[in-house]
Amino acid sequence: MMTQPKRYHPAWLLFEFFSFLKNSFIFIFFLFILRAGTNTGWVLWAKYLFIFFAIWTLIHMVLKWIFHTYQIKNESIILREGVFVKQQRTVPFERIQNNQTSTNFLHRMLGLTSLSLETGTSDAQSSVKFTVLSFDEAQQILKVVNDQKGSDDEEEEDEPANKTIYFRSTKKDTLKAAFTSFSFLAIFPILAALYFQVDDFFSLDESAQNIFSYFANHLWLLVPIFIAAMILSVGIGYIQTVIKYGNYEISADDERIYIQKGVLSTSSFSIPKKKVQAITIHQSFIKRLLNMAEVKLVSAGKMGDGKQETNSLYPFMSRQEAYRLTNELLPHYHIEENMKKLPRKVLLLKLISPYYGTLIVGIGLFIFQREWLWITGIVFLLAIVSRVLDYLFTSYLRHGDFIQTRKGGFSNETFLTRIERIQQIQVRHSWIQRKFGVSTLEFSNRSKPVHVSQLADVPKEDVSDFYRWFKLKQ
Amino acid sequence: MYLHITEPSQKISSKIIGIWRVTNTIGHTIVLAILGALLYFSQTFQWVGWIDPLLYILIGLMIISAVFSIFIEPAFLQKSWRYEIDEEFVQLKHGRFNQYHTLIPMEKVEYVTTDQGPFLRKHDLYNVKIGTTTSSHTIPAIHKDEAIALRSQIAVFAKVKDTDAEREEKE
Repeated sequence: MMTQPKRYHPAWLLFEFFSFLKNSFIFIFFLFILRAGTNTGWVLWAKYLFIFFAIWTLIHMVLKWIFHTYQIKNESIILREGVFVKQQRTVPFERIQNNQTSTNFLHRMLGLTSLSLETGTSDAQSSVKFTVLSFDEAQQILKVVNDQKGSDDEEEEDEPANKTIYFRSTKKDTLKAAFTSFSFLAIFPILAALYFQVDDFFSLDESAQNIFSYFANHLWLLVPIFIAAMILSVGIGYIQTVIKYGNYEISADDERIYIQKGVLSTSSFSIPKKKVQAITIHQSFIKRLLNMAEVKLVSAGKMGDGKQETNSLYPFMSRQEAYRLTNELLPHYHIEENMKKLPRKVLLLKLISPYYGTLIVGIGLFIFQREWLWITGIVFLLAIVSRVLDYLFTSYLRHGDFIQTRKGGFSNETFLTRIERIQQIQVRHSWIQRKFGVSTLEFSNRSKPVHVSQLADVPKEDVSDFYRWFKLKQ
Repeated sequence: MYLHITEPSQKISSKIIGIWRVTNTIGHTIVLAILGALLYFSQTFQWVGWIDPLLYILIGLMIISAVFSIFIEPAFLQKSWRYEIDEEFVQLKHGRFNQYHTLIPMEKVEYVTTDQGPFLRKHDLYNVKIGTTTSSHTIPAIHKDEAIALRSQIAVFAKVKDTDAEREEKE
């Protein structure tokens, strides 16, 4: 498929304009609302400066829209950018590691969406981002990109026929999610923030004190208020969870895995199965208690912004179900439950190695705050506890083409990858490790940022085996 | 041999010991000079009380580190450095007290460069830097002809099995 160079959707201007308004809101608010009447001295200058800047930004915006184009040609996307300094970028489809769409409320109202195609390169321009795109156009681009080997002739075949849905969240799942993510507690920070905001304007402190003393005298009144607050916060928590995790859907065909989620503002993620670099299984303390696990697919490309982590299979699944799903989606990956633990002598080694953190805290407190020196004791105790936990939970397993490692204490993380996904390995041993017959093993996987798995104090026989295995299997 | 693995065999130039001694002396002298200047200012201008002891500790640590990295480390490091490059792997090993073994499959190598500073140039030596998608490694002090041969050799080896696409196909 080949297209002519195209401009972005005209609504791009609208979105840029809104984001400009949002970013300069403080200036506008200050100059033209708070100081609307003042037209003297520096305020006047600031107003002129702002108007000049705003006009320039708007002109630049329009010029950008006129000059920026994209084109699909020869199995790659060609982007032409720059108003004064021209720049052309060519991104071959096969370099694309994953793609993500996200549709916020404004997008949805206008039948638009945003799309980003992530390559794994390490420079700043590692992704192709379309901030505004008509929904159909996005689907078309995705189709071309996803269908890499398909050439011009045998097109026009909608969706690979064998795309199956493996998971769809139900009301029950969402309810479970709302409670395990503790989103119903979210109301408290919101209330606190609200209180302080209002307090700035109306000095609530006094009236708050009055209210407190009133309630102190009528304690029973607190009960219905508390219940009402709980119901409200559970309701808000539930709505938040629905917006974030509602309509969660995981599907796959032979080539790719697709994850979709969200109500009102939706996002989706898709990755070719053969580009999954590794998987991680994360269990927080709560999830461990409830026997849940979160499986994430590791991609060499960037994974959205922190809160928009779409690369996770439904985070509130029971462990068994998560494992089963992983096996179905990625038949190549087998998660093993029983892993090898570190030998007992390693606990001693872990406990006697130097306590640098404690030492630094101790010296610091000795110099600056001698009366707080006891804190060093607590730090020391925490260090010991964390070392013991580290010893207890570190485990590893090599089976077939896989290496699986687990680390953590209260919350733990399991990492599973295949040999050909490992970019490099390093083993090292210090003087004291040699005395204990152990060694540290490190291997790196592509991801953004790079994922380095480190296993400290593994018996040297296992490390040698691992090294030889890696050398042989390549 | 502590680990039962085949170790790389090529050595790096012994001239690097002298070079490391000189560069480490320069580096440590600069840091000590800065710390000394800070100490001088702190005492002349009566800075906050805790700066003095902190500076003394830092100066003490720097002196210990200087003794180690000028008189002791270079010889050990040079003696322990080994590398080997074949069609399949780049293998590196260095360190005496803390030993490091690194193994990089050739097909994961993304780039290879050579560089030299003024001290290396004086002895006609080069550093060879090998980069993968996840990190980069430097083999220090290789003689010019060898370094350039090595660079082109790695380039050839790495290029034969170019993209990871091929490998992915197999799965």
